[in-house]
Amino acid sequence: MKVLATYSIKGGVGKTTTAVNLARQAAASGSRVLLWDLDPQGAATFFVRVKPSVKGGADRLVSKTGSLAANIRATDDPAVHIVPADFSLRHLDLALDDTKHPTRRLAALLAPIADRYDVALIDCPPGITLTSESVFAAADALIVPTIPTTLSERTLDQLTTFLSDHPPAPMVLAFASMLDRRKRLQRDTLAHLMADIDGFLPTAIPNSSVIEQMGVHRSPIADFAPRSPATIAYQNLWADIAGRVWT
Amino acid sequence: MTVATFQLPGKDVTAIVASLAELGFVFGPPRTLTTTLVDTFDGRLHRSGLRLELRTSEGIELVLSGADVVPAHLLLDTAPAVVADLAPGPFRSRVASLVGIRALLPQIRVRMEQSAGTWRDGTDKTVAVAELNERVHVVNGADTGLFGTIEIHEVPGYAKQTRRALEVLRRAGLAECSVDTLTQCAEAADVDLAGFKATATVPLHAPMAAIDGVRAVLANLEVAISANWRGAIDNVDTKFLHDLRIAVRRTRTVLAASKAVIPADVLDPASEGFKWLAGATGAARDLDVYLLEWEQYTAPLGVDTATALESVRDLLTRHHRNAHVALSQVLESDRASALITDWRGWLDTPVDDDGLPRRAGHPIGKVVARRIARAHDALIDEGRLIGPDTPADDVHDLRKDAKKLRYLIECFSSILPDKSRKKYVKQLKALQENLGEHQDAEVHIALLRSITPELVSAEADANTMVAIGELIQRLEQTRLAARTEFAERFADYDSAATQHSFDALIEAISQ
Repeated sequence: MKVLATYSIKGGVGKTTTAVNLARQAAASGSRVLLWDLDPQGAATFFVRVKPSVKGGADRLVSKTGSLAANIRATDDPAVHIVPADFSLRHLDLALDDTKHPTRRLAALLAPIADRYDVALIDCPPGITLTSESVFAAADALIVPTIPTTLSERTLDQLTTFLSDHPPAPMVLAFASMLDRRKRLQRDTLAHLMADIDGFLPTAIPNSSVIEQMGVHRSPIADFAPRSPATIAYQNLWADIAGRVWT
Repeated sequence: MTVATFQLPGKDVTAIVASLAELGFVFGPPRTLTTTLVDTFDGRLHRSGLRLELRTSEGIELVLSGADVVPAHLLLDTAPAVVADLAPGPFRSRVASLVGIRALLPQIRVRMEQSAGTWRDGTDKTVAVAELNERVHVVNGADTGLFGTIEIHEVPGYAKQTRRALEVLRRAGLAECSVDTLTQCAEAADVDLAGFKATATVPLHAPMAAIDGVRAVLANLEVAISANWRGAIDNVDTKFLHDLRIAVRRTRTVLAASKAVIPADVLDPASEGFKWLAGATGAARDLDVYLLEWEQYTAPLGVDTATALESVRDLLTRHHRNAHVALSQVLESDRASALITDWRGWLDTPVDDDGLPRRAGHPIGKVVARRIARAHDALIDEGRLIGPDTPADDVHDLRKDAKKLRYLIECFSSILPDKSRKKYVKQLKALQENLGEHQDAEVHIALLRSITPELVSAEADANTMVAIGELIQRLEQTRLAARTEFAERFADYDSAATQHSFDALIEAISQ
């Protein structure tokens, strides 16, 4: 099982929509996917219509007796399961801090189910916290949505610096998210990111109203707009990621 | 995953649908679904607890599932014949790790009118799934008639709703089936989803008459020969020819060991016939192996050399094609047909005790012990004569003798004590590996040398000729390394430890 995490220090960059749509694309290409919603807002959980619930809350989940298997729910795609989030995850940092090896805890939770899935996709909350450090230790790759703006570029730089200071680090697979090609500044920044950032993925996800409609439809866009440019972009993004992760 | 399957009553199913609708199930319109269970000839997926279904309705979908296995699915344009036809990714990797080089073959094809029922909660989330299957029938085999089922599928995390659906169907008095719809179809059509897996031996008892024991083993080998015959003709995958050849070689070994057991008028033509058959299958198998291991041979030479060797591969591929055409002609010939028919005829007919050779009535254990002991002693004697300058043919003869000994042990393993057999075979296997490496390199060098004139007359590129020289040189190094290692390997085999495990092996059956 490969562990991927949609992650960014910055909020509102499209982490959750990326996680949900990539889960759908991974399943369509023959993978068994576990989506793990670690964000207390539970947006990924909401998008797949699952009730927000972590049995016993964050404390029990990361305790010695905690297990992911007990929390797994099917989504409407038989190949995608989810470990839903709930509001108790706002205390996840504290709960992890109470464990013996906090940064190894999430990897330890994934280990018993590694044979059941081909891909675990963790949807992370923003920021660099103990939770994110535990994600870094568990993940094979971080999928980093990056809006082509100066501020996003700066946070990507912060992330790569942090990771290089804290080895071993997962692979960083950044890509352009919420791209508005009408904006010259975004186009220029994207060109700059593609040229300068090693491993920056070629596929960009457009800033699209279809993606916003996920909240209304509560499903990945491939389910309600299968031929939209955004769906095709996620399909290509998954191919980019698979090409990097499975080689 | 299917939680439970119920038999539908012959007539109206409206009441059942209505009962489920009361819970919240909504059924879609029926669609014609054709499902083909796909597996290897030897049922590798089934034996691993997996099921690969090719579902054809509006499009083609491949579904890999199993008990307590999260289902994976792929949309396809065409049905895959081999794993390599699937796009790279986890799905292909999982299937490839189990099926290897074997072709994906349809085991059973089932057609039905299926209505999918889903129960959704207040947020429109699916919490239980039912499939109403009507007019279910097998379309690629025996006429199994029409029947109907309703299956309840698990939705992980929503066990309560699944339980309630099951309660409704049980209350309605529907008969619960012990297996799901597709398995029922396979059973009705007499299709064994475990496939065909050849075994070398059959259950034997050391005191039984040698003629009975030998015939039981030979009959079992004949089943393997016949089972792989068609696949070898059609070259469905290389394992068919491999298994056919193994069964033929084992047959020859058992025949050679049965001169005092099987009447000469049966033994002689059979020995002659199977010798001819083994010889006729050799070229195709050698080329199968060469092409299967091509990457392994050429990759260490570097990309440039490997590229320069592509035209050699093309030529070998042509030879391979021709060799398989020739093989098919042999297997479809009157001589081959008569050989197998006569052989099967003798195996199926009870033997007349009168006129049987002198050891036919001896205990099989004693007869086998004597033959194995003789083969072991010969191997030791011949091996001791092999030195650095011994011709390659003598090394090859030693390899053949080691193989025959191994086949004898395998074919009569059911009367040999497990522990000492495994210990002894481990030692024998180590020697065989060394002899095999030497022989494979020898055969492949000879093959490359034999096609070199063809390449010259076809005015092959100079780079190709240089590359073929490099490949021969590399194979020669492998051959020499194996030859150098032989002394050590043989010394390990020709040891007190081997003799000890060998004595224990035959002591138990030679009483």
